[in-house]
Amino acid sequence: MIEPSRELRDVCAIVGTGHSRLGRVPGVSSLDLLVEAMHNAIADAGVKLTDIDGIICRGPDESYAHHQQIGARLGINARFSTTLDNGGASQILGVALATMAIKAGMASTVIVGFGRDSWSRTHSSKEANVRNETRPDSLLAHEFGPEYGYFGAVAAHAFGAMRHMHLYGTTRSHFGAVAVAFREHALRNPDAQMRKPLTMGQYHEAPPVVAPFGLLDCSLRSDAAGAVIVTSRERARDLHQPPVSIKGFGSFNNLRGWFADDYMVTTAAKNSGEAAYRMAGIGPDDVGTAQIYDCFTYMVLTQLEDYGFCKKGEGGPFVASGALRMGGRLPTNTSGGQLSEAHAEGMLQVVEGARQMRHTYPAERQVAGAEIALVSGHGGNQVCHSTLILGRA
Amino acid sequence: MDGPTNAPRKKPVPRPSPESEHYWQAAREHRLELPRCNACGQLWFPPSQSCPHCLAADFNWTPVSGLGKVFSFVTYHRVYHPAFASDVPYVVALVELKEGPRLLTNIVGVPPDKVACEMRVQVVFDDYGEDVAVPKFTPVEAASTS
Repeated sequence: MIEPSRELRDVCAIVGTGHSRLGRVPGVSSLDLLVEAMHNAIADAGVKLTDIDGIICRGPDESYAHHQQIGARLGINARFSTTLDNGGASQILGVALATMAIKAGMASTVIVGFGRDSWSRTHSSKEANVRNETRPDSLLAHEFGPEYGYFGAVAAHAFGAMRHMHLYGTTRSHFGAVAVAFREHALRNPDAQMRKPLTMGQYHEAPPVVAPFGLLDCSLRSDAAGAVIVTSRERARDLHQPPVSIKGFGSFNNLRGWFADDYMVTTAAKNSGEAAYRMAGIGPDDVGTAQIYDCFTYMVLTQLEDYGFCKKGEGGPFVASGALRMGGRLPTNTSGGQLSEAHAEGMLQVVEGARQMRHTYPAERQVAGAEIALVSGHGGNQVCHSTLILGRA
Repeated sequence: MDGPTNAPRKKPVPRPSPESEHYWQAAREHRLELPRCNACGQLWFPPSQSCPHCLAADFNWTPVSGLGKVFSFVTYHRVYHPAFASDVPYVVALVELKEGPRLLTNIVGVPPDKVACEMRVQVVFDDYGEDVAVPKFTPVEAASTS
């Protein structure tokens, strides 16, 4: 095994975090949502716009040259600027790449962000809804899917959920425990998209979408953006916020496909996490809070196993024990996650992980005593994964 | 451009690539054939011009048994494409063939709540029209009694 470089451990810090208005923000493009989040991160950090000499972002799938458009809207040039292409794994990869660029002397202060307008594109009007529900056949895969009525990310992840249920006796109530815990966290977050309590009964009553998933197994359609600012630990000392140390990161990509081997139940989180743990010099027992890419309830359960918080197959009982709730063994997705706060493809998980490590939240939102936060990113046709380990500086 | 519309739509039919042309031609004649590498002997799917096991480009299309088992499956309750509105609930499955490769497909001839992982299935062909037939799978027991 290749040993991750320890020279990157605790070299850089997240010094600013920001999010845009979340949920339903009609009339604002994904670009403007991201710029809004970036402005908030810049103000939060107390850096000048002209201090930023690096931009790493990822646009919605159809956008081209996204980082160039963001630079133009921020009104800055940059020494290091690029757009990533790993789906929901891109955002953590952006923080990792920022750290590498700073260590290499290619940039000093890098802004990383992601935004999208998924609620507006699909729900803001009847026309938007019809457009979303009736994708022209020319945009579908050419073969080996549409002819069987196979469409969308819900089904792809549901395949993994069903296989996990078959192998390990995992139940819908286990998935429901994830949804209920994250909703509890969202109720403590005034900016969250979902603000009503959720019971296990309501979870089970929600309409089926692609079984075994029902509506409340699925993450939100959100207008949402998040951003963070990365700089050296040295520069971080002069800024507004308690710096959050970047202790380690890793990535892994099961490029042979989600349907190959047993990747749908033992995901790329396993190898990604092992690399990140080794760079950070820690293990799962050191982690005080986790921010897990929760596109679907099942993905939380299986990633928690892959990261070693419990054994493979024991994720169901682990989440049902209340471990993910505030005060539990591993408070997880403490801002509500993509299931209840808002969905910005993992960027808001990076933001929340960093905020938890500042220890400046009011008591009801702070994970008391947490010294290490683990953040996960998952995406690209379910095969790309990235892991970020943050700590109190 | 087929933009937003409420007009009836047909089920999407495969649009073969140069690599998959033979696969669909065989399916049209109700045969399931996969590429088999002449260098290492392994089969693969989806079709491509070189073997993903050893990268050799020398292969032959080989008939397979059409027998396999359900690796995993999902049941669509929501309509994602208007042509499937009268099909819900329907099952999309990943079937692992006896010979190894896995195919995305439908399980037919059995109610969705009777489908299970590891269920033994065999291929049947669904004619979508004169020029197109799509391989689907049905429980071995159902096929032998019909």
